Amino acid sequence: MIFMEENIAENEKVMNARKEMDKLVADSLKRYKLKPNALFVKLSDVTKHIAKKPVDWARTNSVWPMQFGLACCAMELMDFGSSRIDAERNGYLLFRATPRQCDAMIVAGWVTKSVIPELKRLYEQMLEPRYVIAYGECATSGGPWWESYNIIKGIDQVLPVDVYVAGCPPRPESLFQALIKLQKKIGGVVAKD
Amino acid sequence: MSETKINIGPIHPSTHGVLRLVVTVDGDTIKEVEPHIGFLHRGVEKLAESRMYMQNIVYMEKLDYAAPMAHQELYVSTVEKLLGIEVKERAEYVRVVLLELQRIASHLLWLGTMCNDIGQMFSMFMWTMRDRDMILRLLQEATGQRMFYVNMRLGGVNRDLPAGFEDDTYKVLDSIEHSLGEYKDFLESNPVFMERLKNVGVLSRENAIRLGVTGPVLRGSGIDYDVRRNSSYYKYTKLGFRPAVETGGDSFARYKVRMKEMQESISLVRKALEEMPKGDALGLPIKLIGAVPKEKEAIVKRELPRGEGMMYMVADKQRPYRLAIRAPAFINLAALDHISRGQRLADLFAILGSLDLVMADVDK
Repeated sequence: MIFMEENIAENEKVMNARKEMDKLVADSLKRYKLKPNALFVKLSDVTKHIAKKPVDWARTNSVWPMQFGLACCAMELMDFGSSRIDAERNGYLLFRATPRQCDAMIVAGWVTKSVIPELKRLYEQMLEPRYVIAYGECATSGGPWWESYNIIKGIDQVLPVDVYVAGCPPRPESLFQALIKLQKKIGGVVAKD
Repeated sequence: MSETKINIGPIHPSTHGVLRLVVTVDGDTIKEVEPHIGFLHRGVEKLAESRMYMQNIVYMEKLDYAAPMAHQELYVSTVEKLLGIEVKERAEYVRVVLLELQRIASHLLWLGTMCNDIGQMFSMFMWTMRDRDMILRLLQEATGQRMFYVNMRLGGVNRDLPAGFEDDTYKVLDSIEHSLGEYKDFLESNPVFMERLKNVGVLSRENAIRLGVTGPVLRGSGIDYDVRRNSSYYKYTKLGFRPAVETGGDSFARYKVRMKEMQESISLVRKALEEMPKGDALGLPIKLIGAVPKEKEAIVKRELPRGEGMMYMVADKQRPYRLAIRAPAFINLAALDHISRGQRLADLFAILGSLDLVMADVDK
């Protein structure tokens, strides 16, 4: 029920935005001395302003993570997607095998020097807006391998990270929490259970 | 026809980790498979030289994240042999229970992922993950951790089995035994499953010995060799352990060996819980200033879920001077090129799945 009420509130916000938009359009028509049917002048501004809230809402509630496991944390990532936790119920749909269909990259495991180019390439293949979650100690700070000669000390040295999850390995529930944090960061209305 | 080279990986959903395969194909037939490894290399053997004996367990568990208990037990046994410490009798039974539960969990994970690989049987994956989760809950009850237990101590375990553990275990084992029977009926009456595994990736008896493969891959080729019986550690012989052997040598034989092994592990856990003597199972506490080793070097082998694991350790005063690990997955990966030649490209992942590799174990 909370969700519905928030939806109503959101609708009101969108309506208000539309009214503002009408005003903006009228102003700009006046300023550029245009006839009323020449709407295309500020069309990009118009769409951006009107569509921001609905698009954010949609993005928030369908985060598609990439099926990409590096090491131990990938076991918990599998558990996150399977029967007990069932991530789909909160909008994290099926794990996609290709980066081109994904919104979030969950880096689950230690990153060696030879994986860095692959990681960067996968990140660049993802469409914007894209988000990165550093899942586990190794991806956050190097974890137990901080002395190793072949491991980088945290993926934030190569990629911009949105959410860090601590633990070795973190329980699947903490990944759930991380994705809720990510949803809040994206900025739309978060579905509550 | 002309030959083409196809690159698969290093990040690919079916390689179970970070493995790059360069496959030479003629049409649809595989001519050669060249695995490129080392994407997860982190230098475990070198790191172990800079830590005290009992600090290294953390690294050893991450060698094989599908079965951490087996690797830490192997490491702790090596240290025990080096320091000359006897394992308490109850602790032997506790270790057998934990190891066999871990073996079932590891094989269930393999079953789910392999079925996923050979034809998007995703419901199978969901079911085996459900069963695996029940075992993880048991292990969590016994050790306090969900995945990396750090539970083995010199001469015993960190925690004895908690009260009520036996009843919980019997319930879980009954449930898993029931579902294993269901999976067996379900899979072996499925024409797609049989078509994709039967006579695919045949490894003959001679070549299995020549390539040095171990574990279910070796037993699938008709060789009756299991470290649990052949070097008879803990109470395996007393508990009436019999290795599962199949003569087919193909992917289906490996599947059958693992299914039988799960059944065998279930009965082993039951027997071990029944025959477990009362007493003390706790090992020595971790001390940063360790004991002085009695022997110069030690070598221990154990039957891990993926095959025969071996650790060789040369002693220094407080820490290993040198640690060498024989990773079963690394040796089994060497067989991939041999058994996939002449097969279809689409069968490559059925074969890879039937070898049951963990890339962290391969790369060390």
